[in-house]
Amino acid sequence: MRIGYLYKTLFLSELRAGLGVTWRNLFRPKFTIQYPEEKTPQSPRFRGLHAQRRYPNGEERCIACKLCEAVCPALAITIESEVAADGTRRTKRYDIDLFKCIFCGFCEEACPVDAIVETRIHEYHMERRGENILTKDKLLAIGDKYEAMIAADKAADAEYR
Amino acid sequence: MGSEGSGGPVVFSVSGHVNRPGNFEVGLGIPFRDLLELAGGVRDGRKLKAVIPGGSSVRVLPAELILEANMDHKSLQEAGSSLGSAAVIVMDETTDMVRVLERISRFYYSESCGQCTPCREGTGWMNRVIGRILAGRGKPADMDMLVDVANKIEGHTICALGDASAWPVQSFVHHYRHEFEHYIEHGCSIVSQQSAAA
Amino acid sequence: MSNDDQLEIEVNGVTLPARKGQMLIEATDAAGIYIPRFCYHEKLSIAANCRMCLVEVEKAPKPLPACATPVMDGMKVFTASARAISAQKATMEFLLINHPLDCPICDQGGECELQDLAMGYGRGVSRYSERKRVVRDKNLGPLISTDMTRCIHCTRCVRFGQEIAGIQELGTTGRGEHTQIGTYVEKSVDHEMSGNIIDLCPVGALNNKPYRFSARAWEMTQHASVAAHDCVGSNMFAHVYNGIAKRIVPQPNEAINETWLSDRDRFSFEGIYAADRLQSPRIRIDGEWRDCGWDEALSAVAEGLKGIAADHGPEQISGLISPSATSEEHFLFARLLRGLGSVNIDHRIRRVDFHGQEADPVAPGLGMTLADLEAQQALLVVGSDLRQEVPIAAHRVRKAAVAGADVFFVNPGNYEYLFPVAGYLDTTSSSIIDELAGLVRAAFARTETRPDANLAEVLAAAEVRPEHEAAVAKLIAAERATVLLGLIAGRHPGYSRIRMLAAALAAATGAQVGSLTEGANSGGAAMAGTLPHRICGGAAAETTGLNAAEIIAAPTRGMVLMGIEPELDCANAEGLLERLADTLFCVVVTPFATPAMETYASVLLPVGTFAETAGSYLNAAGEQQEFSGFATPVGAARPGWKILRVLGNLCAVDGFDYVSAAEVTQALAAVCEDSEPSIENTGQLAPAVAGFDEGGLRVPIYAVDAVVRRARSLQLTKWGESVPDISKPADAA
Repeated sequence: MRIGYLYKTLFLSELRAGLGVTWRNLFRPKFTIQYPEEKTPQSPRFRGLHAQRRYPNGEERCIACKLCEAVCPALAITIESEVAADGTRRTKRYDIDLFKCIFCGFCEEACPVDAIVETRIHEYHMERRGENILTKDKLLAIGDKYEAMIAADKAADAEYR
Repeated sequence: MGSEGSGGPVVFSVSGHVNRPGNFEVGLGIPFRDLLELAGGVRDGRKLKAVIPGGSSVRVLPAELILEANMDHKSLQEAGSSLGSAAVIVMDETTDMVRVLERISRFYYSESCGQCTPCREGTGWMNRVIGRILAGRGKPADMDMLVDVANKIEGHTICALGDASAWPVQSFVHHYRHEFEHYIEHGCSIVSQQSAAA
Repeated sequence: MSNDDQLEIEVNGVTLPARKGQMLIEATDAAGIYIPRFCYHEKLSIAANCRMCLVEVEKAPKPLPACATPVMDGMKVFTASARAISAQKATMEFLLINHPLDCPICDQGGECELQDLAMGYGRGVSRYSERKRVVRDKNLGPLISTDMTRCIHCTRCVRFGQEIAGIQELGTTGRGEHTQIGTYVEKSVDHEMSGNIIDLCPVGALNNKPYRFSARAWEMTQHASVAAHDCVGSNMFAHVYNGIAKRIVPQPNEAINETWLSDRDRFSFEGIYAADRLQSPRIRIDGEWRDCGWDEALSAVAEGLKGIAADHGPEQISGLISPSATSEEHFLFARLLRGLGSVNIDHRIRRVDFHGQEADPVAPGLGMTLADLEAQQALLVVGSDLRQEVPIAAHRVRKAAVAGADVFFVNPGNYEYLFPVAGYLDTTSSSIIDELAGLVRAAFARTETRPDANLAEVLAAAEVRPEHEAAVAKLIAAERATVLLGLIAGRHPGYSRIRMLAAALAAATGAQVGSLTEGANSGGAAMAGTLPHRICGGAAAETTGLNAAEIIAAPTRGMVLMGIEPELDCANAEGLLERLADTLFCVVVTPFATPAMETYASVLLPVGTFAETAGSYLNAAGEQQEFSGFATPVGAARPGWKILRVLGNLCAVDGFDYVSAAEVTQALAAVCEDSEPSIENTGQLAPAVAGFDEGGLRVPIYAVDAVVRRARSLQLTKWGESVPDISKPADAA
């Protein structure tokens, strides 16, 4: 034992082993991705920024059933509902607090009409205090902007749900 | 007059594929063959296929069973049906049993009073399924489901109309399942095929 | 079996006691064994049409409905055997095949009997792939929303109308799958207790229209409370979300309201959020109104009142308080005014005849519980539109009549009653007093009694007719008979005569006397001492001050008004606004600020309504009920007892050191004792009034107090249309 220890200490064997790893990897193909020019492959199931969807005829899908609010484990969703001018059931207020949200996707799973979804968008930031609250108009705007991508993603995953 | 356990006369209202449909007052227990003869026999000399011996509520009997039976309570019950209201509906070989059942189930759907749940909802369900089979859009699982629905109505209703709506479905499927399955598989009646083949 | 009626049954292997004539489901409910059901309800007749409660009974060829199967000694029942469960699941499947997939948009979601039972008895995936039937919605009025496609035809709403309300407003038309529940012709459902079908409907077919789409059952908190509009004090639950009251539902209390609520109690809370709610104290300086803080306002009030007392004498201060204020508010109000030296305090703002008030009972009321009222065998109702005055008491009277009681009315008009009435004396062409006198004379003649001098004078001109004799005969014959004085009688200018005659009639016929009282808390007010002639606890005051009618006729220089809109809540209010405007200093403690108030008040103090304050009510049955506020006070409103407490301290009156409402309640209880309501004959009578329009004494059901008048949904109903539009300025009436 003492001899082995002496040998290792004198001839830096552990250091050589470590350096050997570095040397071997020098000649292997790298898997580093040059983000943001390159991106890792992303599943259509990726749970990112939320959006509120509409039907093809433009009517908002959300019918204020409050299932998403009830199932949210982080209590990130706040909803107030009312009778809309046309007699239907609509939200007066629909807020998602992104600081509370854990991006679990339960809201999306609970929604009976596929109104609230999580898109694949993970690149966003907030600049001012209060922007962590996504209000209804912001959610609808995100949904309107990315509807094509959202619809394609949901269609791709539909047979597994 | 009459037979043991079924005494006295009765008026049989014979309708369907007979030469002389009408009301016949005879003694209970008359053999079916005799009653059929009184009504002039099956029309156009055709073969007897099935008979409903006591109004649409009682179970249907295929020809081979009814021809051996007497028209009284005991004999008909042994054959698997019952005397009911003594309204005899005679059906010959050109009869599409699926169409007959659709017509009968539509009667119960229409007549249901709507008070109790099984009859109010179930008669419509059965009628719609049979209608769908008749239209050629039946599915293989429909047959067992139809019988299951009928079984779930029977015995669970306030009055006997629920039972009465279930018995035709149960008996028609029991005796003529092949006709229903033909519809499901081919989208058309087995009878039209048979007459085409004949 | 110790009793002939008792027998034993076996359910799921457990022996249960049962009574002969009971249905199976009553025995199992009593034992806590649950059998699923939709159409069965303890308060309604048995229909047995949903077929959900099918259970297996030994030796029975098919499953039997538990709600329609009488118990038999020794019967063996299996509520959860394979056959029973199969039958129950079959019914559930049948119900779901035509039921629309509305749960996300249906208000009943989360508190739906169909949802709850479908969890246990429904299939995971439906096998029904045909079209579902659809039913057109009906318009039943501003209170009840309909989504008739969801209806499962349990007929609870139909039976409620027939059996509880007394008028079948809903029925079934069509048959089979096309059965529809509705009014057949386009008509609203108008009965004053119709809101209860919202609770009865097991699915979301009949829902609360003002509440539509506003909240989910699981996100609201439930708070017990007491109704604040009539002397019955129905128990209720308020459902609150984020401090805002969303709806009211009944709290079961067999002794008072059973499982029902009148529409007024259910929908009145909407008035709390009216547009003219006073949001902050307001003060008038040099003729200009402005908002101010509580400190400034309360100091101004204290100075103003002390100033009046100093400059003009404490007898120039008067106080009028709503009979629906809490007992604690009454207690502190009286103490404050007496502490300032005034005895002109009253809550009896609709009463005009105060002769003989020394003989008023300490706490006026029915003199019996509501269950006792239901058990009466003969009832003479004097001066009351029962259904509009106290719907829950009217329902009890209806139950008595249906059970065979003889009910007679003496009323200035033909008010509709939905039960067999034994006799109806319409006093439109005579008067209540004349008819009562006739009854008393008939009673005296029958029982061979002689009237004393006072009574003889009143009976002098009385005419006895056969109807009088018929009524008297029934009152005498009945073991349990009552003469019930209603609110119209209480407001009559000849109330002292009515009271004397009622007492004499009761004494002669062996009946009891009871009164309905104004507001929610006349009993508590009387006990707490907001009276000119009595102090807290009912003892006589040393000096008697001005009563309500005297104050209304000639307001004093300093006035304190609490919880009232004098032009609408007081009797003989013509010209009252002008007279109030002539006062020097008028403090109005009010939840609402009307343009009229700004013409006569000096300071407006925002007070919490019954929903925003803690307190207690003493109902007409003599039961004290405590409640806490359930809604966050609107704006800067404060509970009434707190405002009075601070005012008391600022005015340097003793005994205002309470920290919580409960302390005030205890202090009040310490001073009061139980009292028997009684009506005595003192001989002090008001002068006779001729040609007086008694019908004008009636106050419509949805006009009784400020909160109810502002409940929009109630004002849109058939009986609500008689109320003037609150939004119009006072002088444009």
